Amino acid sequence: MKLERNTLLILAVLAVLFPMLVTDQYILHIGIMVLFYAVLASSLNLIVGYVGEFSLGHTAFLGLGAYTAAILATRYGLPMWATIPLAGVISAALGSVIGAITLRLQGPYFVIITLAFAEVLRIIANNWIGVTNGPMGIAGIPQPEILSTTSTLFAKRLYFYIALAIAAVALYLAYRFVYSSTGRAAVTVRENRYVAQSVGIQPFAYAMQAFVLGAFLAGLAGGFYAHYISFVGADVFRFSFMATMIIMVLIGGKGTLLGPLAGALLVTLMEEYLREAQELRMSIFGLIVMLVVLFLPKGLMGFLTLRRERHAGNAELTGNAQRIQPQGGAI
Amino acid sequence: MDLFLQFLANGLVTGTFYALSALGLTLIFGLMRVVNFAHGEFYMLGGVLGWFVTSHLGLDFFSGLIVVAAIMAAFGWLVDRVLIERVRGQGEEPGILLTIGLSIFLANSALLLAGTAPHKIEGPLPNAPVFLGPVVLTEMRIFAVAVCAALILGAHLLIKKTKLGRAMRATFQDPMAAQLAGIKTARVYASTFALGSILAASAGMLLGAIYSTQVTIGGIVSLKAFVVVILGGMGSFGGAIVGGLVLGVAEALWGGYVSTGMVDIVGFIIVILTLIFKPYGLFSARAERV
Repeated sequence: MKLERNTLLILAVLAVLFPMLVTDQYILHIGIMVLFYAVLASSLNLIVGYVGEFSLGHTAFLGLGAYTAAILATRYGLPMWATIPLAGVISAALGSVIGAITLRLQGPYFVIITLAFAEVLRIIANNWIGVTNGPMGIAGIPQPEILSTTSTLFAKRLYFYIALAIAAVALYLAYRFVYSSTGRAAVTVRENRYVAQSVGIQPFAYAMQAFVLGAFLAGLAGGFYAHYISFVGADVFRFSFMATMIIMVLIGGKGTLLGPLAGALLVTLMEEYLREAQELRMSIFGLIVMLVVLFLPKGLMGFLTLRRERHAGNAELTGNAQRIQPQGGAI
Repeated sequence: MDLFLQFLANGLVTGTFYALSALGLTLIFGLMRVVNFAHGEFYMLGGVLGWFVTSHLGLDFFSGLIVVAAIMAAFGWLVDRVLIERVRGQGEEPGILLTIGLSIFLANSALLLAGTAPHKIEGPLPNAPVFLGPVVLTEMRIFAVAVCAALILGAHLLIKKTKLGRAMRATFQDPMAAQLAGIKTARVYASTFALGSILAASAGMLLGAIYSTQVTIGGIVSLKAFVVVILGGMGSFGGAIVGGLVLGVAEALWGGYVSTGMVDIVGFIIVILTLIFKPYGLFSARAERV
C-alpha cells in the first residue's frame, strides 16, 4: 500500500516534469498515448483485477465516451471541460445497465456477453447514420480555443497535462476504491465468493460498483481521445483496442495499481518500436503476447512481488537463524 | 411467400456452415473450456490453405480437402501440446490471452503470405442454378451442404462409436477418473483440439469454394461460432447444429426484411437474450450453475 502510494506520487512528479524537459513533439505524443492507455488499462483492471471477471466489452465504454464527447462538441458546441466529464457520466450510466445484466454471469459466459454488447454498439455506430454519421465517423471535433493562437508544441504540452490530469483522477479514484472497505470486499469476493457471501458481502453489489467506476474512467478516456485525435469512427469499438488493453493489464499484472501503468508504458513503447519492423510488426506482437502468457503468467508486477517475497523469505530465514527475537509489529 | 422460402433456403445453407464451424468450437470451448479466439483463424487457414493446394499445387478439391484436414489436424495437435497444455487448469484468462496472441500472429502472418485480396477456390461443381420449386440454389451450394452434413456425421460417429471418442467423453466428464482408468488425457485433449481445427478448416475451405476466402475474415467467424455454441449449449453436438441453423435463418430473414447493414447484430442480440433467459443454452451437454 505504502509502496504503491509512494511510487504513484514519484511517477506523478516525473510526469509533471516530463513536458518541460522534452521539446520533441513525437515523444510528447507517445507520452500522451501512454497516459491515455494508462487510464484505459487502469479502468479495465478494476473489473479484471478486482471483480475477477474477464470483460472483453470494455471498448463499449471507451467508444460511447468518445462518441458522446464528439457529438456534444460538434452539435451542441460544448467546450472540452464539459464534454469529457459528461462522456464519463454517460458511460457510467451505460455501465450500470450493462453491469446489471452481465454481472449475473461468470466465467466464459461473462466474457462472451460483454463482447457481444461491445459488438452491438459497434454495429449501431456503423449504421445509425443520423447520429453517428455511420462509417464516415465524426470529424473536425473542435480543439480548445486557447490553442488557435499558439504553437503546436504548446498544444501537445497542453494535451499532455490534460491527459495527466485525467490519469491522476483515474488513479486517485482507483486508489480510493481499492483501499476502501468496498475494495477489500471486492477482493474477498474475487478470492472466494462463498466465504465472502458467508460473512455478509453481496458479490453483485461490489462487482457493480467496480464495473460502473471502470466504465466511468473508460468514458473519460474516450472523451479525451475524441478531442485529441479530433476524429471518432466506429473503429473505437474494434477488438484490437480491447486486445491492447487486456495485454497491458495482464503484462503489467492485474489486481495491482502499478501493473496497468507499467503495462501501458511497455506496450505503447513496444508498438512504436516495432514500427521499424513494418509488416512483421503485428506478427511479432502476437508472438510476444504468447511468450508473456507462457513465461510471465502473473505479469511484471507479479514477477517483482515474487522476487521480493523470495528475497524477504530468505532474509527471514537467515535472520531467524542468527538472532532470536519476538516477531510482529511491523506489518 | 416465394421470397420467404428463398430466404429460408439461403439461411439453412449458411446455417450449415455455421454449424460445422461451431461444432469445432463446441469441442474446444464447450468441452475443453478453452475460450479459443483463434478459432476463426483456423477457419481462415482452412480457406487459404485450400486455395493454395488447389490453385498452386494443382490438387483437385477432394484431395485438397484431405490435405488441408491433415495439415490442420497436425497444427491443432501442436497448438494444444505446445501452448494450451501449459495453461490448462488455470481458468479462462491465460487461454483467452494466449489465443488472442495466436490469432493476431496467424492473421498477420497469413496477411504477409497471401495478401489482402480475396481468393476463390475452384469447386468440383459449377455454380449452375438448381430450381427446387420456387427456390433457386446452385449445384455447388447443395454439394457443399452435403459435404458439411457428411463431416458432421463423421465427427458424430467418431465421438460416439470409436475408442478415442469414448476416451474423450470420459475425460470431459471427469479428467481425474479418466486418468485413473488409464486414459492418456493429454493425448485426448490434443486430439479434441485437432478435431476442432479440422472442422473449422473444412468449413473455411467449403465456404471459400462458394464465395471466396480472405485472411481478414477470422474475427467475425470466431464471434459467430461463439454465438452458436452459447445458443446451442456448451459442448452439445445437436445444439451446435440447431444453433447454427437458427442463426443462419435468423440472419437471412433479418437481411431480407429489415436491413442488410445490420445483419451481424442478430447473432449478438441472440447471445445476449440467450444468456439472460436461458443461460444453459438450448441443449447443454452438462447441467451446471452459471
